[in-house]
Amino acid sequence: MLRITVDGTAYEVEEGLTLLQALDDLGVLMKGVDIPHYCWHPKLSIDGSCRMCQVEVEGVPKLQIACDTPVRDGMVVHTGNERVRKAREGVMELMLVNHPLDCPICDQAGECKLQDYAFDYGQMHTRTREPRRALKKRVDLGATIVFDQERCILCRRCVRFCREIPGTSELAITQRGDRSTVETFPGKPLENDYSMNVADICPVGALTTRDFRFKVRVWFLEEVPGICTGCSRGCNVHVGVADDQVRRYTPRRNDEVNDTWLCDYGRMTYQEIGAPDRISEPAVRGDAGQLVGTTLEQAVECAAQLMRTAVEKEGPGVVAALASAHATNEDLAALRGLLAALGSETHGVPIVTGPADALLIRPEKAANAEGARVAGFGEPGLLLDKIRGGGVRVLIVLGHDIIHEQFLGSPEALAALDGVILLDTHRSRLEQVAHVVIPARHLAEKGGTVTNFEGRVQAVPAALEPAFEAVAEAQVLARIASALDLSISDESERKRETD
Amino acid sequence: MGHRVPHVTHYLTEHFADPGYTTLSGYRAQGGYETARRVLAEQSPEEVIGTLKNAGLKGRGGAGFDAGLKWSFMPRDQAGPSYLVCNADESEPGSFKDRVLMERGPHQLLEGILIPAFATGAATTFLYIRGEYAEPARILQRAIDEATAGGVLGSNVLGTGFAHQVVLVRGAGAYICGEETGLLESLEGKKGQPRRKPPYPAECGAFGRPTTVNNVETFCHVPHVFARGVDWFRSIGTEESPGTTLFGVSGHVERPGLYELPLGTRLDEIIFEHAGGVPGGRKLKAAIPGGVSMPLLPAGHLDVPMANEFLREHGSSLGTGGVIVMDETTCMVRVGCVISEFFRDESCGQCTQCREGTGWLHKLMLRIERGGGTEADLDVLEDVAGKMEGQTICAFADAAAWPVQALLRHFRSEFLEHVRAEKCPFPESFEL
Repeated sequence: MLRITVDGTAYEVEEGLTLLQALDDLGVLMKGVDIPHYCWHPKLSIDGSCRMCQVEVEGVPKLQIACDTPVRDGMVVHTGNERVRKAREGVMELMLVNHPLDCPICDQAGECKLQDYAFDYGQMHTRTREPRRALKKRVDLGATIVFDQERCILCRRCVRFCREIPGTSELAITQRGDRSTVETFPGKPLENDYSMNVADICPVGALTTRDFRFKVRVWFLEEVPGICTGCSRGCNVHVGVADDQVRRYTPRRNDEVNDTWLCDYGRMTYQEIGAPDRISEPAVRGDAGQLVGTTLEQAVECAAQLMRTAVEKEGPGVVAALASAHATNEDLAALRGLLAALGSETHGVPIVTGPADALLIRPEKAANAEGARVAGFGEPGLLLDKIRGGGVRVLIVLGHDIIHEQFLGSPEALAALDGVILLDTHRSRLEQVAHVVIPARHLAEKGGTVTNFEGRVQAVPAALEPAFEAVAEAQVLARIASALDLSISDESERKRETD
Repeated sequence: MGHRVPHVTHYLTEHFADPGYTTLSGYRAQGGYETARRVLAEQSPEEVIGTLKNAGLKGRGGAGFDAGLKWSFMPRDQAGPSYLVCNADESEPGSFKDRVLMERGPHQLLEGILIPAFATGAATTFLYIRGEYAEPARILQRAIDEATAGGVLGSNVLGTGFAHQVVLVRGAGAYICGEETGLLESLEGKKGQPRRKPPYPAECGAFGRPTTVNNVETFCHVPHVFARGVDWFRSIGTEESPGTTLFGVSGHVERPGLYELPLGTRLDEIIFEHAGGVPGGRKLKAAIPGGVSMPLLPAGHLDVPMANEFLREHGSSLGTGGVIVMDETTCMVRVGCVISEFFRDESCGQCTQCREGTGWLHKLMLRIERGGGTEADLDVLEDVAGKMEGQTICAFADAAAWPVQALLRHFRSEFLEHVRAEKCPFPESFEL
């Protein structure tokens, strides 16, 4: 370890890092030690071109760029003195010489590094009278990203991202000098599974996602920590909420899980939360054979009655459950608890699989596949056999992955059951055979913990209330248990109560 | 003055009037390749490096770095290839010496390459030539082919057992590819943009291997150092800057052209005695000593010996030795316009200050020239140039800033005249 002093504070840092890397590793960069930077990104190669991160290193005559200055033992650094300020003001002025300054109509306004640093290091007036460079304002780089050439500060983060992270190299800087711009190669659009990350890492309003641009001003967004539910990686996201709607996911840095990235597929799963096909009302199958809307109390009572009848007639073994890999660990614990209280051990979890890659995308297409396994839910095959053999009368089902073509393909196999109690977020053909349908909450609406493929248990809070009345599955299951006069509190909770 | 006035000599260009000198047999007829053969056969690489360091040969590409010292940086005992690169991307406006060296003496260059190649253990030299130099490229390729066929290059250089090949690579026309790491990027097939340093090329150069980049003329001096000895070489030129160099004189002179003269020759001697002075009886106004990136000198400062140690005292530098002479009709704001336009066009665009500063300087120059400038604009010019200087990946931004700073230092009154008259007061100056 080396000892360095930055603005009077001593730090121990690892050898072989540059100053910005070392401060980032310490967790103090921009959180106490403010060194503005554009081209440097913790997960990309060093570029050294924006020149914004200049600092004074004692004993070195010229100012040094912190991104590319190796730490040395005994190094003394000043990040905010007058000389450094002047240099940064110089860079800012030059960076803005050709910038259109169209913040009022720019979607990045409010989360723009150019804007932020201009407040710190900019001038209140311009010294140029010449026209600024006029370039294209809307270039489709691919299906997901729109590029404003005029706003680009040529930090090349996007170019390096495509080269270094997905390895697809779609973007390049063409032309030179103040005519430089980002372009794709003819006939080869920006098209990779991570394309929208370039908008996240673009420090200015040059790259925006077609999905989010002009949707909402970012200062109206509340950003709540969340977990992407697209696969078992469990990428950390910011859930951007405005007007009680999720407007976007953006990656939240977690070097152990997803670095600073998020795949395009996962990013777009936020749309499921406010989708029109959400189950928004409890329903029970009426006398005419149709599902009829009802209250949660009545739906719970109806579910309890179905279970009670079956248990009384044929014993607890005929009540079974299909868990969901989308449910939280808390929901799954409640389901296990209910089954245990009943005395039934018949259960399983369908986990839908799909394409994967070496970067983030995992084959299991649910956030809590590993959590379901850890909770004891195995492959659903045995349970399905038992259902087909008539050994199950009432089935509690969380989610509808069971009718995915990788499992049943259709709900028909469940049609003969006396009771199908469905707790689900989205409408599906499974409703056709359900006797009770109870709306469930999306992870972003209930919070809780999920366990990723590596066994990492990640907790998130609820980001928003659903637009309709719904409670988390764990609470629904607790209410059903209560209606059956069963207690489903697990061992640890019971222990806590007695302590 | 401190420098010795040597006997007049010209060794680089001695045989350039002989068209046969460009052929292998013609070159050999003048004793060509004999020095290289003797050095390779009789000396150790360490001895060769020692001789080169003692000679004090300064790089002729612009920066004036000690060539022997540069070669000594090459790691000796490393597995895998190392490279030499001959920088023939001669792009500095006002410079045309390398072109002549390649067209008239291609084998002199190849011999000059062989000696440091042997000393540094390089198996390959990449000869990177600017794309516009089609004729020199053709002549060089012919010389390389002839030398290879004649056993001068190849697996057994001149019968000494040393193996060396020279690969000619043509650039695509970018000034920045004359910057050594911009050249290396271009050589590797990438966009010509200078690299961050460290690592320096001697550690990680072409294709990630140890590499030394030298200018064409620098190589051409080498056989002469070994043929006639260090003492002879150091007897020419100045104490700090030995040898001759090729001064390319252009602009308002009677006899524009290339003059091989000892380093330390006074600038006014070059202009008035060798190049015949300013035509038409007009007065000289200013001269750029070493290509447009070097700060110009006004008429009163031209008695300076042309060597870095003296030019430095005048706030300038030898650069590539391209002398551009301007007479009294020349509008210095127009000079600023053409120079800043050149640098605006050629900036690679990586670093903020250079990309945006070069364009801003050019716009300011144009506005002042067209009569739309203010006194405040002069301060902005100085300020912007100051913000560009010394803060970027390579020295290009310095090269763009220095001429502007020199123009304002020496000719601020002319800029003010433009501002006050709201037009250019030099109607007879060259057209923009």
